[in-house]
Amino acid sequence: MNFRHVWIVFSKEVKDILRDKKTIITSIVVPMIIIPLLSMIAGGSVQNMQNDIEQNVTIGLTQESNTAHIRELIKSYIIADFPNINLIDIEDPIEAINDSKVRIVLGVEENYKEKLEQGEPFVIEIIYDKSQTKSEGSMHIVSNAINQFNKKVIVQRLEKMGIDDKILKPVEIEQTNIADDEKTSLSMLAMILPIMIVILISAGGTAPATDLVAGEKERNTFEPLLTTKAGRSSLLIGKYLTVTLFSFVSAIASIFGMFLGYIIAPESITMGTGTQLSGFSLPGAAILMILIISVLMGMTFAGIQIALSTYAKSFREAQTYLSFLIIIAMIPGYATILMPPNEMPLYMFIVPILNTISAFKIVLGLNINYTYLTIALASSVVYVIISLKIAVTLFNKEKVLFRS
Amino acid sequence: MTLGGCVSKLIRVEHITKQFGAFAAVKELSFEVEKGEIFGLLGENGAGKTTTLRMLATMLRPTKGTAIMAGFDIMKDPEKVRSKIGILFGGETGLYDRLSCEENIAYFGHLNDMSRDKIDDRVKTMAKVFGMEEYIKRRAGKLSKGMKQKVAFARAIIHDPDIMLFDEPTSGLDVSAIRDVHEFIRTCKKDGKTIVFSSHTMSEVEKLCDRIAIINKGELVEKGKIEELKNKYSCDNLEDIFIRLVGVKSEF
Repeated sequence: MNFRHVWIVFSKEVKDILRDKKTIITSIVVPMIIIPLLSMIAGGSVQNMQNDIEQNVTIGLTQESNTAHIRELIKSYIIADFPNINLIDIEDPIEAINDSKVRIVLGVEENYKEKLEQGEPFVIEIIYDKSQTKSEGSMHIVSNAINQFNKKVIVQRLEKMGIDDKILKPVEIEQTNIADDEKTSLSMLAMILPIMIVILISAGGTAPATDLVAGEKERNTFEPLLTTKAGRSSLLIGKYLTVTLFSFVSAIASIFGMFLGYIIAPESITMGTGTQLSGFSLPGAAILMILIISVLMGMTFAGIQIALSTYAKSFREAQTYLSFLIIIAMIPGYATILMPPNEMPLYMFIVPILNTISAFKIVLGLNINYTYLTIALASSVVYVIISLKIAVTLFNKEKVLFRS
Repeated sequence: MTLGGCVSKLIRVEHITKQFGAFAAVKELSFEVEKGEIFGLLGENGAGKTTTLRMLATMLRPTKGTAIMAGFDIMKDPEKVRSKIGILFGGETGLYDRLSCEENIAYFGHLNDMSRDKIDDRVKTMAKVFGMEEYIKRRAGKLSKGMKQKVAFARAIIHDPDIMLFDEPTSGLDVSAIRDVHEFIRTCKKDGKTIVFSSHTMSEVEKLCDRIAIINKGELVEKGKIEELKNKYSCDNLEDIFIRLVGVKSEF
């Protein structure tokens, strides 16, 4: 291998790709704009939906219950402390829910007043539609309002009897959450970020890897290249470094996009799950290690992508192989998405791709274990060597190189 | 390895054989080419011409035998061999569309270890010789086929190789493009380059080559000067000799 030749090939390939509008758009512009936009839209709509459910609870009464007394009970007693709940006049309760005129319809026993005075329970029927998210969401809010009313009545009754309402609470529950805001927001990030990194890095190298070998073969630029003084390993390494670079350019563009989205709309980064990402501090050494591990994963992908592109008979065949690679790369991410960082078994730090995901998870989950991180780093180095070895072997095989 | 004693024989092919699994694409092929000579490899499609040229260009490794190209053994010094040869393939010109003509040519110069100044000088000279001055800075993808072809010529000889290999350079070209290729081959000869030229078109071989080798199914059938072959077989055209030696092509 001749480093000068590697550099010549690398700089030519980078120049060539930078002039290709298609690649620039798919690997830089799209992730930078689409990813934050999608999470902002998704986050925004989840947030809007939640706000809407909480803020605009509309209720109606069945025809039998639609009397002045009952309206008074609802308005002045049950929903008096709930400005988000509004009582609306309706005719047909079922139709009103179906037409989204109201979310909940209440049916109150006619002789509720007597029962209330006699200290007997009366029934309030809540009619709702479980298939409508807003109706179901409102059911809980209205139930809560009725429960509050229940409590008030109980307190009044006990007071009349001269009994302290404490008697109803033999046990007080106190919750202590050991996760601070930082840990909560990081655990959200530990779920989303590793998968995104794997997908972005594997997807980022796809276009250049396809173009740099299978594309060259198809456009007949490959054979003249093989007749230059530069050896095959130099050609390969030059191309390999280009693919590695563009995997990261695209990943960095996406992360930059996410960051931009976060500045514009902070809730977008956690897709509107309600968790806010506040300032947090991670140990520098751990960050450095996961960065190195992700670079190594990018290099492993680049090796496999170049190998597949070399093996492919045509540009299309290469595209098919490389899209499959992205799907395969996604499996470990999704398989472990809900796995808590403190329960990642040791073998996960050795399996390819999974080792990067696990490393990200334990660091972002603040369960940092440097032995595990070192194992992930060491196994990543081994995978880089293996993938590069496969690529070099295929690139030097006449049968593969001149397959047609 | 430099073979000082064989300066006049710039190419010496010795029992070169290429086996693809059980199939022998080239069998025990031997020939020599004198310095400054145009040597034609004549054969039908699939006779082994491209495989032979690919072996001489060190793209394929012979299963047996070897060749000495400009003093270097293709088995032992493939890199040095590549620095001494230029190659032009037929069909698509194989340029990088997004690079300018100048960049396309310079890329090959750099990969052949030329200095930047030397490359600039050569590009300037060749732009003049091939009439490319007007479009040398334009991107290759925006050029006509004829213009692209000239860029491919310049790219093949940027490093001023001693030997030029032409693999069916006129296949699929129109009449004027064929004329340009022939003109280029003559220019190479004038510049003292040694040329191996493969073709299945009798007329162009007859027009350009000093000596020829006829190959069939990977084997050498006949070689010599065209006039000598005509006398030997008492035929006044190459096509008849070829048919006599190779037989009527079964594909037709």
